[in-house]
Amino acid sequence: MSNKILSIEGLRKHFPVKNVWGTDIALVKALDGVDLEIEEGKTFGIVGESGCGKTTLMRTLLRLVEPTSGSVVLSDEITQNQFLSNNLEELTNEELRSFRRQIGVVFQDPMGALNPRMLIKDIVSEPLVIHGKTENMRDRVIELLNNVGLGEEHLYRYPHEFSGGQRQRIVIARALALEPKILVLDEPTSALDVSVQAQILNLLNDLQEKYNLTYIFISHDLSVIEYMCDRLAVMYLGRVVEEADTEELFTNPQHPYTKALLSATPNFNKDKEKIMILGDVPSPITYLDESKAKLATEITEQERLEIKSIEGKGLDYIVRSSLNEVLPLKEVGPSHYARVK
Amino acid sequence: MLEIKDLKTNFNTYDGVVKALNGVNLTIKDGEIFGLVGETGSGKSVTCYSALKLLPKTGEVVGGNILLNGEDITHASEDRLRQIRGGEIGIIFQDPLSALNPVMTVNEQIGEILVLHQDSKIKELASEKEIPVYKSEKWKASPGVEFTIMAFCISFISLFIMLGQFTFSLPFLFVVGMMFLRDYLQKDIPDSALDLMVIDALSRVKLPNPKQIAQSYPHELSGGMQQRVMIAMALAGKAKMLIADEPTTALDVTIQAQILQLIKDIQKEENMSVLLITHDLGVVAETCEKVAVMYKGKIVEENTVERIFRHPKHKYTRALLNAIPKGGKERLKVPDVGEMGSI
Ligand SMILES: Nc1ncnc2c1ncn2[C@@H]1O[C@H](COP(=O)(O)OP(=O)(O)OP(=O)(O)O)[C@@H](O)[C@H]1O
Ligand SMILES: Nc1ncnc2c1ncn2[C@@H]1O[C@H](COP(=O)(O)OP(=O)(O)OP(=O)(O)O)[C@@H](O)[C@H]1O
Ligand SMILES: [Mg+2]
Ligand SMILES: [Mg+2]
Repeated sequence: MSNKILSIEGLRKHFPVKNVWGTDIALVKALDGVDLEIEEGKTFGIVGESGCGKTTLMRTLLRLVEPTSGSVVLSDEITQNQFLSNNLEELTNEELRSFRRQIGVVFQDPMGALNPRMLIKDIVSEPLVIHGKTENMRDRVIELLNNVGLGEEHLYRYPHEFSGGQRQRIVIARALALEPKILVLDEPTSALDVSVQAQILNLLNDLQEKYNLTYIFISHDLSVIEYMCDRLAVMYLGRVVEEADTEELFTNPQHPYTKALLSATPNFNKDKEKIMILGDVPSPITYLDESKAKLATEITEQERLEIKSIEGKGLDYIVRSSLNEVLPLKEVGPSHYARVK
Repeated sequence: MLEIKDLKTNFNTYDGVVKALNGVNLTIKDGEIFGLVGETGSGKSVTCYSALKLLPKTGEVVGGNILLNGEDITHASEDRLRQIRGGEIGIIFQDPLSALNPVMTVNEQIGEILVLHQDSKIKELASEKEIPVYKSEKWKASPGVEFTIMAFCISFISLFIMLGQFTFSLPFLFVVGMMFLRDYLQKDIPDSALDLMVIDALSRVKLPNPKQIAQSYPHELSGGMQQRVMIAMALAGKAKMLIADEPTTALDVTIQAQILQLIKDIQKEENMSVLLITHDLGVVAETCEKVAVMYKGKIVEENTVERIFRHPKHKYTRALLNAIPKGGKERLKVPDVGEMGSI
């Protein structure tokens, strides 16, 4: 059992929705009570459908957005016992800078993350300059580029002269510039072809081994998640609905959404059982008006129609409305938690 | 059904000629789901655009033939091509929002296609059921005319009010009022034959509540529903073949599973041919019967799905398959691009 490097406790982020007069009428509950513990040197995966709050979770972790409630607790590994508080929210500006040095970020779209007018040399050295680490900068940049399989000859080029996979390498090199302990990867390979994806995944595994990095890996591709992660959490509508070690979760899924997600991922086993999710994707908006606030848990007219349309095809299904009920997290196996009855 | 023979397509760019296709051969038989896979830039989209003559101006088919049911359409007239697109061949694009018109309701968009390709059938239905053919909204003109009438009336009203002759403005006020109340007054008018056909097209793609969806604008629908509407549009002209260019790439896996199931169901029910373009080998394995692998503007391997995934012959196919994580933690095999250079 290794050490925790971060713990997330009861994290909530509610975005207000205003009407034309500027008064709040509703909330988007992007995160609605997330508890997670991230282990050092491991890869923690987060999966879930579009809009379930993965990116918001990452942004709150970096304190790019302030949480509505809940906290992120840093381990002594990160604070080095130098901080006044271990709570991310209470850090002073100086401490926040030091924290940000220890957590690197890689976003989905490599072109969007790179300034097209900057040379690779300047892109990779940017964080070094910002944090005032300018000694031997050229050597450091070359070392960083070597780490990701690029070299000195690439220093004086522009991003558009590189392929998608090479650009993602540059982003990774920059994220590693300040020797972070944690790397947050938000869909790092979604924009890439499988062969390029394979290169990047191998590279990430090598770097993790070399520097004992902790990864927080967000993806919607379950085969990538299965390959990369030691432990993972499945999110649905701002909540973690299931969390377990990867192998346990893939062999023994408990929550109906997890089961549907696993069965929906295309793979090479044609006879595998399919579970369809029927019904409309629920709106993340919660109205402040009590009468409209609760999501209905009984089956809707539309779902009834959809069930009828797949009848007799031998397909299993779950309906969205049944997922609206919020159940408490329960231990269902060895360090395996799920929101089930 | 569709036969592509030695198709060659070039693009003229500032940097010179880009040879996007270097002799593509494909045969899609009646009633089969055919997958076309390959990496970004291998020429999958260009193949289907060339076959349907939808290339941008810089693109040019420089060689080869395209046969549709034995008819050579390589040099077909623009009129004939318009008949084929949306008529005999339905097309689905990757991004539903960019292919749907944001300022037209679903009803209007599908209606347009139906009028173009199924006019006789609409009229038949109308005479059979004794209902109006096109418009249930009898009193609706084109937006331009409506706007002119409105502007005309309002200027007269203001003119008369300014002249102190309020009574003269009353008839114009009446017209304006009617225009606003029109939708309300028309509630009880029966659906036209066209409306019925649109609703029928929407129920074919298993959209619940088709009547309501017909009245919606694209942005009011979820991604999965938009893609279903796209499929309904592609099939509205009674297509016998469907070309789908990455129909599910922009969707969540759970919704992707629904859409693929829908395509499979419709294909079976109507015995259509489907050409499914994708970069996801898993999608092909699950949906298709036959598959062709494309690399650098050429088909490098073609076979049944079973055989290609069990015994890939070409080293590029093997490399592609090896690069996918498939459970297990062993290092992924990265294709060596240099090795693949010659095909
Ligand atoms: N700044 C914001 N203001 C208002 N709502 C927001 C804001 N940021 C995110 N949201 C909402 O919060 C919810 C969660 O969004 P988030 O980007 O975290 O989803 P995600 O899981 O990353 O989705 P994807 O897979 O599409 O990237 C969404 O409904 C989104 O509309
Ligand atoms: N308008 C254009 N002008 C110049 N070259 C083009 C144009 N459209 C496509 N190409 C070139 O043709 C080749 C094939 O492109 P195509 O769009 O068919 O790829 P694809 O296999 O569909 O890839 P993707 O998976 O990214 O959609 C590419 O090398 C591309 O650069
Ligand atoms: Mg996101
Ligand atoms: Mg394409």
